Amino acid sequence: MKKNLLLKSALATATLTLITGTAQAEEGQEQTTPASKEQAIGDWKFDAAFLFYSESDSRVSAIEPVFNANKRLDEEEYLNLKLTVDSLTGASPSGAVASDQPLTFTRPSGNASYTVNANQYPLDDTFKDTRVALATSWTFPVSDMTKAGLGANISKEYDYLSASINGNISYDFNNRNSTLFAGLSYAFDSIDPVGGAPIAFGRMQPVGDPQNKLSGSQDKDTLDLLVGITQVIDRESLFQFNYSYSMSDGYHNDPYKVLSVLDDQGNYFDDGIPVANVLFENRPDERTKHGLFGRYKRYIDGDILDVSYRYMTDDWEIDSHTVDLKYRFAFDNGDYLQPHVRYYTQTQADFYQPYLRQDQPLPQFASSDYRLAEYDAITLGLEYGWKSSGGNQWRMALELYNQTPTEPEKYGVLQQQTLLPDWNAVMLRVNYSF
Amino acid sequence: MNEALHTIAYKTSQGFVTGHFTAMAGPCEVIIETSDQELAEKVTQTVADEAWRIESTFSRYRTDNIIYRINNADGDPVEVDAETARLLDFADLCFEVSDGMFDITSGVLGKIWKFDGSSNVPYQNDIDKLLPKIGWQKVSWTNPRLQMPAGMALDFGGIGKEYAVDSAAQLARQITELPILINFGGDIVATAPPVSREHWLIGIEPLALGQNTVPPQVALKHGGVATSGDSKRYLLHNNKVLSHVLNPKTGWPVADAPASVTVLASNCTQAGMLSTLAMLQGKEAETFLQSQEVEHWIQRR
Repeated sequence: MKKNLLLKSALATATLTLITGTAQAEEGQEQTTPASKEQAIGDWKFDAAFLFYSESDSRVSAIEPVFNANKRLDEEEYLNLKLTVDSLTGASPSGAVASDQPLTFTRPSGNASYTVNANQYPLDDTFKDTRVALATSWTFPVSDMTKAGLGANISKEYDYLSASINGNISYDFNNRNSTLFAGLSYAFDSIDPVGGAPIAFGRMQPVGDPQNKLSGSQDKDTLDLLVGITQVIDRESLFQFNYSYSMSDGYHNDPYKVLSVLDDQGNYFDDGIPVANVLFENRPDERTKHGLFGRYKRYIDGDILDVSYRYMTDDWEIDSHTVDLKYRFAFDNGDYLQPHVRYYTQTQADFYQPYLRQDQPLPQFASSDYRLAEYDAITLGLEYGWKSSGGNQWRMALELYNQTPTEPEKYGVLQQQTLLPDWNAVMLRVNYSF
Repeated sequence: MNEALHTIAYKTSQGFVTGHFTAMAGPCEVIIETSDQELAEKVTQTVADEAWRIESTFSRYRTDNIIYRINNADGDPVEVDAETARLLDFADLCFEVSDGMFDITSGVLGKIWKFDGSSNVPYQNDIDKLLPKIGWQKVSWTNPRLQMPAGMALDFGGIGKEYAVDSAAQLARQITELPILINFGGDIVATAPPVSREHWLIGIEPLALGQNTVPPQVALKHGGVATSGDSKRYLLHNNKVLSHVLNPKTGWPVADAPASVTVLASNCTQAGMLSTLAMLQGKEAETFLQSQEVEHWIQRR
């Protein structure tokens, strides 16, 4: 007999597996809900979440209730329905640079204007929307070792419609210690911007002048592919690896983002039109992304260590790295505390430009969207989970996010301005399963 | 199973409600620190139902359960449900870590060994006939399919009761956070220490009354306690006491096994397996448990 301490901990893990039936800690998908109760066939299980999100400097804030219902149809067959409602308010960077003069911009509707004070970072405060999204999925066994899933999503905002269908299949082998999976998804997006989609590089017009705006909606098709493997290493740990491919075709512009046109001193170039000289952005109409993802999960005497790394690269030349670390401390009474750290860094898109210059030729593509710039971001979070006296699971998470962009090159009077300020966000999520 | 025997008797005293019932061939009790009789009865009913469910699911004496299907498959493969699969995985691990000393196919030895305090030791000839029918390594187990040579039989007796206690405790915790002690014939789990005192106090049955002036007691806050061994189950052979713990490789009782081993661990199944493995160590039982760094009590004759 192996007379060592490993035997006791091997038994501890094995007995936990035996009693709770949750073998390899919730493997697979991001943020799967830990089953708080054994769900009998025919039973519904519900999950309600409430998310509050707020960015610094009165940028976007959002309130998002989520309701999830899951029905166990058979031994390994589930139906899932998820309803999300997003309510966004606040202001978003318009893409224009600040100036030592006040700047007047026409609202996207074309019916009104707003003014940004001198030396202030231009935010478009018309950002207000409600999104309703419904997702449904059905997972079912195909054979002993093969499981499949089919799903559909639809999401509607005032100016945006997104619909997608997806399918996936997984195959267990090697005594169920290995799982191969593959997924395919097709999405159709249609945007019908307030006041019409602007013509690429169109000059912002004064109130009441609808020229430079297109009528009708703009569409985009996206195809996503995912293949991966999950490998149980031993009774306490598992490794997951996957490759993802995404190809999209169609309208990729943000119809509300503009680029400032500056003269050789760094001032807005005065062309006589009584609104700031800005052009609507223009992005390529295709994008191909590749991603590699690896995750290691380890069970340590009831605690769970979860480390992952993601690398993404695309033909817009944005390369990103994400390192994510979570550690879940389990308490004797079943509660847990989970600190979370994430670091993200990306390079800028090859057509990212903070502004355009009147004395230089117009490039083929350009966008000053801060999301396409070079930046680093850190997320710090803490989640606490506990069970109510009725046995239902509560989870509460607080996350702090900080984004630090690399300030682009400046010249002339522009040197007095910050083109890409740091910003922070705070997120609070409360989740209840019953 | 006689459903009429599924009754629970309640008793209330000093802030505790105790429910008594019979399951798994023995007395069971659920003690809850509460004045809420209704809640206490709900918890006790849940625990008792789970005990009766597991008893009937894994009993060797029924013809309508998975154990019957496995033991009467005559060498054909049997597909098992998820719970049975978890028990088989666990038994497989225990077989592995004990170098084959813990074996759920060894139950057939019970046909010839009767530990009734007599000296009726079976003939070696009969033992030899049974040995080929023992050995988990002869069973092919690939979740969810089990294939066992004809003539062999599985018996979850060595883990079933401890598992039942843990499983019932799990269900009880989902109903209430109140401190609960569940005791299925000496296999015990406490979900939390009582509010009114420091810990639960559990007495270990002494070898013989009067022999130990103070019976050993276990202070349990939460976790599981299990005892292997039974002072009343032994045989006399060549002036020596034979314990009822059998070595599946020889078909004979393990030499110099303690009379009883009690272990305190994080759950009852873990405690039960550690105490069983200690018994199987014979005279090395003490050394084994010391190396495992668990609280334990060993009684020897």
